[in-house]
Amino acid sequence: MRGAPVEEAVSLSVGLEDIVVGRVEAARLHPGADRLTLCTVSAGGGEVSVVCGAPDVKVGACYPFAPAGAVLPGGFKIGRRKIRGEYSEGMLCSEKELELGTDHAGIMLLEGDFEPGAAFARVMGLDDVRFDVEVTPNRGDLLSHAGIARELHPRGHAAIVAPPFPGGQQGTMDAAFVRGAREAAAGGVRIAIEEPEICSRYLGAVIRGVRVRRSPDWLANRLRAAGARPVNNVVDATNYVMLELGHPLHAFDLAKLADLQVSVGCARPGESIVTLDGETRALAPDMLAIRDAEGPVAVAGVMGGANSEVSAATTDLLLECALFEPRQVRAARRSLGMSTDASYRFERGVDPEAMESALLRAAFLITEVAGGSLDGPVIDVCPVAWKAPVVALRPSRVRQVLGVDFGPDEIAGLLAPLGYEAAGEGRFRVPGYRSYDTLREIDLVEEVARTHGYDAFPEDLGPCRLGTVPDHPLFSLEDALRATLVSDGISEAQTPPLCPEANGDVPVLNPMSAQESRLRRDLLSGLLAHVERNMARGVADVRLFELGTAFAPAPPSAADPVPAETARVAVVLAGRRSPLHWSVPDEPFAVYDAARVLKLIAREAYPNARVVPVEAESEAAGQPANHPGAAAAGLVPDRRYELIDEDGAVVGAGGEVRPERTDLPPWAGVVVGAEVVLPAEPAPRAEVLSKELPEQPASTRDIAMLVPSTTPAGAVLASMRSAGGALLEEARIFDVYEGADLPDGMRSVAFRLRFRARDRTLTEAEIERALRRVTRKVRQDTGVEPRG
Amino acid sequence: MPLRRSRTRPRRLWESSRHAAGPAHRSLIDSLRALEAEALEAVRVAEDSGQLERVRVQYLGRKEGRISGVLRGLGTLPPKERPVAGAEANRVKASVARALSERAKSLADHSPVRPAIDLTLPPRHKWRGTVHPVSKVIDDIWAIFRGMGFTRARGPEVDNEWYNFVALNTPLDHPAADEQDTLYLAPGLLLRSHTSPVQIRTMQQYQPPVRIIAPGMAYRRDTYDATHTPAFAQIEGLVVDEGVTFVDFKATLAEFARRFWGPGTQVRFRPSFFPFTEPSAEVDVKRVLRRDDGTTYETDWIEIMGAGMVDPAVLENVGYDAECYTGWAFGMGPGRVALLRHGVRDLRLFYENDMRFLAQFA
Repeated sequence: MRGAPVEEAVSLSVGLEDIVVGRVEAARLHPGADRLTLCTVSAGGGEVSVVCGAPDVKVGACYPFAPAGAVLPGGFKIGRRKIRGEYSEGMLCSEKELELGTDHAGIMLLEGDFEPGAAFARVMGLDDVRFDVEVTPNRGDLLSHAGIARELHPRGHAAIVAPPFPGGQQGTMDAAFVRGAREAAAGGVRIAIEEPEICSRYLGAVIRGVRVRRSPDWLANRLRAAGARPVNNVVDATNYVMLELGHPLHAFDLAKLADLQVSVGCARPGESIVTLDGETRALAPDMLAIRDAEGPVAVAGVMGGANSEVSAATTDLLLECALFEPRQVRAARRSLGMSTDASYRFERGVDPEAMESALLRAAFLITEVAGGSLDGPVIDVCPVAWKAPVVALRPSRVRQVLGVDFGPDEIAGLLAPLGYEAAGEGRFRVPGYRSYDTLREIDLVEEVARTHGYDAFPEDLGPCRLGTVPDHPLFSLEDALRATLVSDGISEAQTPPLCPEANGDVPVLNPMSAQESRLRRDLLSGLLAHVERNMARGVADVRLFELGTAFAPAPPSAADPVPAETARVAVVLAGRRSPLHWSVPDEPFAVYDAARVLKLIAREAYPNARVVPVEAESEAAGQPANHPGAAAAGLVPDRRYELIDEDGAVVGAGGEVRPERTDLPPWAGVVVGAEVVLPAEPAPRAEVLSKELPEQPASTRDIAMLVPSTTPAGAVLASMRSAGGALLEEARIFDVYEGADLPDGMRSVAFRLRFRARDRTLTEAEIERALRRVTRKVRQDTGVEPRG
Repeated sequence: MPLRRSRTRPRRLWESSRHAAGPAHRSLIDSLRALEAEALEAVRVAEDSGQLERVRVQYLGRKEGRISGVLRGLGTLPPKERPVAGAEANRVKASVARALSERAKSLADHSPVRPAIDLTLPPRHKWRGTVHPVSKVIDDIWAIFRGMGFTRARGPEVDNEWYNFVALNTPLDHPAADEQDTLYLAPGLLLRSHTSPVQIRTMQQYQPPVRIIAPGMAYRRDTYDATHTPAFAQIEGLVVDEGVTFVDFKATLAEFARRFWGPGTQVRFRPSFFPFTEPSAEVDVKRVLRRDDGTTYETDWIEIMGAGMVDPAVLENVGYDAECYTGWAFGMGPGRVALLRHGVRDLRLFYENDMRFLAQFA
């Protein structure tokens, strides 16, 4: 369809094939259970015995009945069952069991006389198909059958006529009108408008002599098919016309309107109203109310009051058809926390040009189904006469936006079926039902495109100019990190940043649940939850990283209380360092992997940063939660590193995760975690300048040192490097041995030193000299000696 | 820990010979013969093919080989003496080469049988990391738009009502604001309900032409279910310039769709409504897929994005001249695209990060 897609076509009787009308002929308490009733039900093929759990089975009333062997819409098959010693040959159904509604409280009472055994779907008017149409908020004009017909018909509005009602020849009535700018009276009723800005027109028809009862089947069934619940003939008639023509209508019980007067104005301070749904609602002074001489009888455009409700005793009516300002209705219904069929339509705009026809059709339908007749002319109070908007449309603008030439006649031809009348000089008069959406030239451009058909436009890819916006460098950094970490065997995770209170410091004002009540302060906590979930499912090897945003509250002193956002990367590693394999010994991740991961990240994000072990209790614990070093607080004190950038700032941390932070199975080993705050505007990576490869041969020497466990091996290494001078090209630790054959508290650490001069082959003597220098310096700096 | 000593390379013998006194070729021939004897001995004692190869490189190697080096030294001899020395050099070279090949043959004949191995044992492997399927979709979308001259822009996830609604032509008292149930942090301060505020921030900062996409997180007040999460990835696109039309809009997005979903993909534009675009469209695709037996079939129409021509009110809100500039924009959900792409039934799987699920995308 042009303006709105059909979301779903529902056959209303699907699943109800086996359900029939059952009449309860007799009912008595189940002899074996207090809460059960034993009913005799006639359902066409004679009487059967049925056990029913509902408390209020009425003898003589009809209910939907699923006989033994029937299948309910949900697929449940009803069988002959013995319940506390009594056989039940079927089930009396509730709305919920039939998937017709949510009411599970009781079985569904069928109002009216029905033939027992008749197909339930047919007698309920459900042997029909319902099209659910998705209507966008700008198209209030489609919220009716007439609106949809107008949209579908090639001649549009011109083709729409309201058909006669079943059993009659007529679809409406004629009536005289008595008109006034601020007030008018007829049939003994006076109507006044106090707030013309909010209610620009109010039509009232007095109908006397009605008999309120159930609606005729055709009316009730059509309402049900459209998803509405029949109430009584008067209310049903107003709802029917609303669904049909789109204009909400309301009927008051005239006898309940004090002094037979109605005024439309703002609620008085302290006023409240009990609405038709039984709720007591306090009215704010900016809400528009319909009031009689004593107080409010309806919330304008939202819902009527219980005090003026049409009941079985009602004989005289005031039928209302009014025009309320959309924003005002929206504001009122929002502050009352409700939405009704009427408010939904008023918010989206109802057709100001169709008020009279809607009122007359509803009045006619009421007199058809409830009797009675109009008393006097229709009261028409209209402080602000509606004027159709006139909008100019330049063919050049159509061409500029749509890229296709349309001549003036072509444009007029495309707009006419939608109800836009050419008003000369390229201007168009907007019909009432489109007057909320079509106010500007661009709105008409859209109508041209829509009527022409989007498919009819060519798809020629023309030339284009490049943009002025540079590619944001943080994306490139994220791409590089993603590639690095994935190639390291770590998988990317994604976590919605909403979290429970424990993991976030920025509260959400209107969260859906406590689980999503904060914005996360870090990424690592979310990743640890994924480790927990994986391990709970028996997955022991977990390697995850995430790129995303963390949030911190604005400092209390900030003028603008906007939380600080930081882009981050976090990593968790648990389980084996490499997949289980017959040729490789099992080796779990350890704290040293955190250092490696930090270096991998640093290489992309902070090329000049250092990974530094953190002293036992660092000051990070006391730092604000958004401080990158705060991540270190969640790590085991003597098993963590920090990433320090070239300015000396802590930009990340990594290490062994404190075991109390996670709830893991006993077999889970160490979990390694790391988190780094990314620079907001990363500098482009410096180009690599290649070094010439050495031409001279190198000499390597391995040397084992006896290092006390209290002396950091890193210090020995640093000492070696400082002593090696230009000849020491590289020094690294390649083995650490702790064995019983060593003195207590000692480790044997093996270093491999590579010597090279760029201009000559080193002689044995030179190398020996350099080695002696190194060992002397190590002894001096750390007291460490070569091993025997 | 024993000290290990590594070999230093032997000094090059021929260098000294080049500067020797007397009849130049004599001294050269002497050193050639000495080398020959040394090489033949080395060949004799070589115990396996590896050692033999090292001997070959040491004496006959093209660059470092010692005999080859002597041959290069021929150029320094007086022209008259070159033929004699050259003939000798070639003889020595051939003699060493012959010895090498004979020794290689005898080694091959007598080499011990290497232990049998079982090649059906599982191969060595390493952990394979995977890009998150939703990221992969964003990457693929970016790759296509990069090819069409787009750049990437980003903006804050916490934003205010002006950027999220008002500037995008969505008055707060209009029912359209209901369509996106928004999460608030404070009155007026919200979690962006779409990535569209990036459009506004980018246009405020840069002048046309604008040609960007903006991937990022968006938030809505939804409960978790098979197709909704309260936070989700979105990707926004925006083009603004003089002369940008509905035809360009359709052409570019249809081209994107065919590059993303395959050349046979059909693209359909359906009228719709978004406050910040006019005309607005929903874009659907119908893909052509191949069955296992090689036959093809068409999928149903799949809704993939909301899009449209930028509403002139939006351009005016950022100070662009809406009479001069036109543009188009789109927004799509990479999560939904990933769902369809991989046949995943439940969006929540993307956020549970089960290693077994993620490993499927390696």
